[in-house]
Formats: sequence, C-alpha cells, structure tokens
Amino acid sequence: MKLLEIVEVLRTKKVRRIAYGVLILLIITDFFIPRHEVHFFGDEIPGFWSLFGFIACVLIIVVSKWIGHLGLMQHENYYDEGDV
Amino acid sequence: MMREMFSLEFVHPSAFYLIGGLLIPLLKGRVRQGYMLLIALLAFFAVVNMPHGTFGVYEFLDWKLTFGNVDKLSKVFAYIFAIMGVIGVIYSIHVKNDGEQLAAFYYVGGSLGVTLAGDFLSLFLFWEMMAFSSVFLVWYRKSKSSVHAGFRYLLWHVAGGLILLAGIILQYSLSGDLTIQYSPFHGWWPADPQSLASFLILIGLIVNAAVPPFGAWLPDAYPAATVTGAVFMSAFTTKTAVYALIRICAGSEILIVLGVVMAIYGVVYAVLENDARRLLAYHIISQVGYMVAGVGLGTHMAINGVVAHAFCHILYKSLLFMGTGSVLYMTGTAKLTELGGLYKTMPRTMIYTVIGGLSISAFPLFSGFVSKSMTVTAFGEAHLTWAFMALMLASAGTFLHTGLKVPYFIWFGKDQGIKAKEPPWNMELAMIISSLFCIGLGVFYKPLYALLPYSVHFEPYTAYHTWETLQILLFTQLGFFLLLKKLWCKNTISLDTDWFPRKSAKAFMWFINKPMASLEYNVIGEIYEFIIQKPIMRVAVYLKKIDTVVVDGTINGVGKLAMACSRKMQKVQSGQIQHYAMLMVAGVIAVIIIVMVLP
Repeated sequence: MKLLEIVEVLRTKKVRRIAYGVLILLIITDFFIPRHEVHFFGDEIPGFWSLFGFIACVLIIVVSKWIGHLGLMQHENYYDEGDV
Repeated sequence: MMREMFSLEFVHPSAFYLIGGLLIPLLKGRVRQGYMLLIALLAFFAVVNMPHGTFGVYEFLDWKLTFGNVDKLSKVFAYIFAIMGVIGVIYSIHVKNDGEQLAAFYYVGGSLGVTLAGDFLSLFLFWEMMAFSSVFLVWYRKSKSSVHAGFRYLLWHVAGGLILLAGIILQYSLSGDLTIQYSPFHGWWPADPQSLASFLILIGLIVNAAVPPFGAWLPDAYPAATVTGAVFMSAFTTKTAVYALIRICAGSEILIVLGVVMAIYGVVYAVLENDARRLLAYHIISQVGYMVAGVGLGTHMAINGVVAHAFCHILYKSLLFMGTGSVLYMTGTAKLTELGGLYKTMPRTMIYTVIGGLSISAFPLFSGFVSKSMTVTAFGEAHLTWAFMALMLASAGTFLHTGLKVPYFIWFGKDQGIKAKEPPWNMELAMIISSLFCIGLGVFYKPLYALLPYSVHFEPYTAYHTWETLQILLFTQLGFFLLLKKLWCKNTISLDTDWFPRKSAKAFMWFINKPMASLEYNVIGEIYEFIIQKPIMRVAVYLKKIDTVVVDGTINGVGKLAMACSRKMQKVQSGQIQHYAMLMVAGVIAVIIIVMVLP
C-alpha cells in the first residue's frame, strides 16, 4: 500500500537529518525576514522564536510533570469507580 | 415589528432539529439515514437564507420572547453550528440508538436556539435544553463510570444554569426588560446590583465555557461519552458559551486573566493525561482560553479573532475527536498506554487526525493559523505583553500534545500489534469533510473573514508571522523528540477542581449516614415520642370514635378514586433520575413547540 510506504520513508534517518537542516535554515533565514509589526523586544531578535519554542516545550513538560508528581496524578481507581 | 417564526424569509433552523427529529424513531435503515441527513442540510440552508433582522417575536404573559435575532455575530455562529450539525450527523449516521440520535438533535437544536435568541428567557430555555439533551450522550455509553460522570456533568450545568437564571432575574428586576443586552462586568467583585447581575450572568456563562475552577465537568464527561456523542459535545457547549460571552460580556477585563490561565491550565493537564480523548478535552479548555481572553480584551480585532477561532476550532477539534473516536470504536480503547503502532492498520485515520493536529497548532496553511494568530496579535497590539507571551507558550504546548503526542503514541510509539481496520465509510467521510475544511480555511481564509462581525484589517500570511510560527512549532518538535522518554504515559488520572465537590460529597454522605442518622434515631426519636407522639395518640383515640361513625362513609369513595389515580401515576415515578430528566426535557420541548406553533 502506497500510503504505508510514504510513512515508512518518513521514519528513516535520512529524513531526520533533513529535518535538522530545516531547523538551522529557519534560524539563518530569520536574519533576513522584514519586521513590520514589532510588539515587543523579542520581535527584533533573529531566532528569538526558535529559542522560545524550544524552551517553552521543555518548560511545559518539566513543570507539568513536577506539578503532577506533587499529588495531582493518582491511580485510575482513585475515585473507585471502575473502568471508563 | 412582529414577524412570524415560519415565514418565507425566515425559518428557524432549530425547528428542523426539534420537530423533524421526532420522526427519527419511526424510520428505519437507509430511509432513516437519509432523513437525518436531510434535516441537517435543511437546517443549514435555513441558516444560509436567514436575512438580518428580528423574527419570531411572541408575547408570552408580560414578556416579549424573540426567537430569531439575526445579525452578523449570530449568523456566523449559526453557520458553523449548522455545518457541524451536518458533519456530526454523517459521522454518527450508523448509530441505531434512537435516544442517542434524538439527544444529539436536541443538543444541536438547542445550540442554534441559544445563538438566535433575542431575549434572556428563550436563551435560558435553549441553554437548559442543551444541558439536558447532551447528558444523554454521556449516559448512552452505558458504563457505570459514564452514568456517574453524566450525573456530575448535569450537576455542574444545573448549578451554572441556576446562577445564570439568578443573574437574568436580577437583570430583569433592574431594567424591566428581558431583551439580551450588552452588560459587561468590570472589576473583580460586584459592587452594586447592576454589576451583581452582570457578575452572576458572567459566572453562569463561564461554567459552560469550562473556565477553571468551574470547568472540571468537561474533561470528566467528554471522555466518558459515546464515540459519536463526544464529537457533538466537543463542538457545541463551550462555543455556544463563547458566543453568549461575546454578546453579553465582551470587554469584561476579568476574562483576560481567566482566559490566559485557562489556556495554560489545559496544556499542563494535557502533559499528564493518558486517555487521548481526555487529553483533547483539556485542549478544548486551552483553546477556549484563547477565546475567553479575547472576549475579555474586547477590541474589534480580538472579537474577530475569537469568532474566527471558534469557527475553525469547532472543525478541527471535532476532527480530532472523530479521529480518536474512530480509534476507540475500532480498538476498544483510547488510552495511550494501550495503543501504538496503528499506522500500519489505520493510516488514513492518522492522516485526518494529524490534519486536525496541525490545524489546532496553527501551522501555516491550516485553519488555526488564520484564526488563532488574529486573537494573539490583538494582544500584541494592545501591548499586553504578558498575555501575548503566555498565549504563545500555550501554542507550543498545543502542538506538543495534539500535533505530536497523540499521533505519536497512537500510531507509532510502542507497537502493540493491535488488529484494527479503518472505521466505517460514514465516519471516514465526515473526517474527510472536516479535513478539507481545515485545509481550505487555512488557504482560502477570505470568505471566513468576510463573515466576521467587524471589518478585518489583518493579513495572516506575512513573512515574519509565518516565520515566527514555524520557528516556535518546529523547535517544539525538536524538544518533543529530545524529551520523548519523559512523555511516555502512565496509567493515571489527574485530580482537577472537581476533587473538592466529589470529596466533600463523600464526606457529606458519611456525615448523613453515620452521626446524623444515629442522632436522629437515638436522641430526636426519643424526644419526639415522649413530647409529641403520646399526647397525640390520646387525642386520636377520642377522634377515632367520631370518625368511624360520621366521616368514613364519605371518604371511602374518594379514597378508591385516589388509589386508582396513584396507581397510574406510579408508573411515571420510576425513581430513576434519567427518566425524570427525560420528562422535564419533554415538558420544555412541549412548551417551546406550543409557543412556536401558536400564532
């Protein structure tokens, strides 16, 4: 089946390398993108949103897990009701 | 000017769902399927044909009820609700349970009714109709936990509805007018009667918008609903509330804070969540957070953004619920810990779900990009940098979960070797239609912008904005793959604000069953017997003599009649709340139909 083959191709190491290349290209090109609407200082720094995206992702995962382990996460039968 | 409910120029779209729906149980097979689709399409064309103006005005007692208030704002919401009605009906057309179909029809009809309501009373009637019909979409799952979740869902909505009603009554006593009027709430606490009325209405509305701490019903009930029911629910309740918030409360500053908190709160819970449909439910809260915040800001650009976002959101969120619902339908589970490797067996469902994921993440060329950015930019232009940054952060989280986590753990992840197939044709057709909408709106966004309540001065596809979004999303993806190990789910649930009512309800029941019961039995019972029962008995013995001689003969006849009546009534009193709820809904429907049909 063709769809399956495409998905398999997308999972190879070669595609991953291309993806890393795209990330680097994204930052480099950001130096040349014109800024029309500057809302705050971050809008003027090239690559600002790359850093923001990465840090946001890490923060969300780490902080949420931390909050979860403070006691929010409980066993499925916490309210003892059986399966959903 | 008084015009009719059913005239050539205006036919109330709800009427198709509410009256037409009643015939569903009488039909079977293909005829039934075709009939249901026909109703949904007729309702859609009724919306297309609605001219702007006021229709369906009725004098009822001292009140003036307006069922058809059509302007740009109500029309765009009616459009999307009617479109979603068609898609939802296609997705659920195979469901044989008449009750479930009727519940969905009354739910959609109620939502359209709220949208077009011109006065508070008819708004409230349809508002309650939505709550009482949608709860059946949870109950028809028929598992013990969904019955429980349904009761909790109903309790939240009844409580919210009563607060709304209190606000409406207070508003009416102040202005003497039931017409829905713009009454934003300013500040943090009500200071005078007028602001108390606005405050109560606001609280009533935000319960339905699932704003924390009143939003726990949503991730509780939606994953417990039926496969098709959850698709309807994901679209209507919160977005109807957003519509009402725009109409009544736009510019209430408190909503900015609540909305931003909401956007982040949903993302945090989504990290912890294992059930795919509950994860998506938390992302409804997150996305509605953008809308609630935008309503609070209240500028023309923000309101345009909110409306556009609600429009796109209904399509991509229902698409996501359809995708995960298909997985649940075909494999029997929606838990990420039990899924994995499905790309070999359900690849097409994966594509549709990923399209939904890219749309909700606001990827360029997908629908979320043209709508979410408008709301967020409105915050940038208002120089509310903290809110702007927080919403940007939440966007990263959105992509992290719906765009990456859900597809990865269902279709890739650890191959569980589950034997599954693509879902039935109608479910797939509904997903194809939604997918086309998601991409279509992302590319051809001008028609959507033309429907918005204010004129649009916003261009989503500027070089900088596109680059900004691509950077955030692609670097989020990098973070996802680097931290993948941390994201493997565990078989857990996460405590939400409903912990307080649920735990205190248990404590209350213990208090009633143990200390209260023994107090009643041992102490009060004794006192009662000594002071009241004994003297009364003495009088009674005396009275009995009179009674047997004089009264008995007359009474016996009446008694027999009463017994016969009560035996008949007994059948109605089953003791099942579901049956009572059904009767109440039937009553409300009867009232609405009588009002609609009587001249």
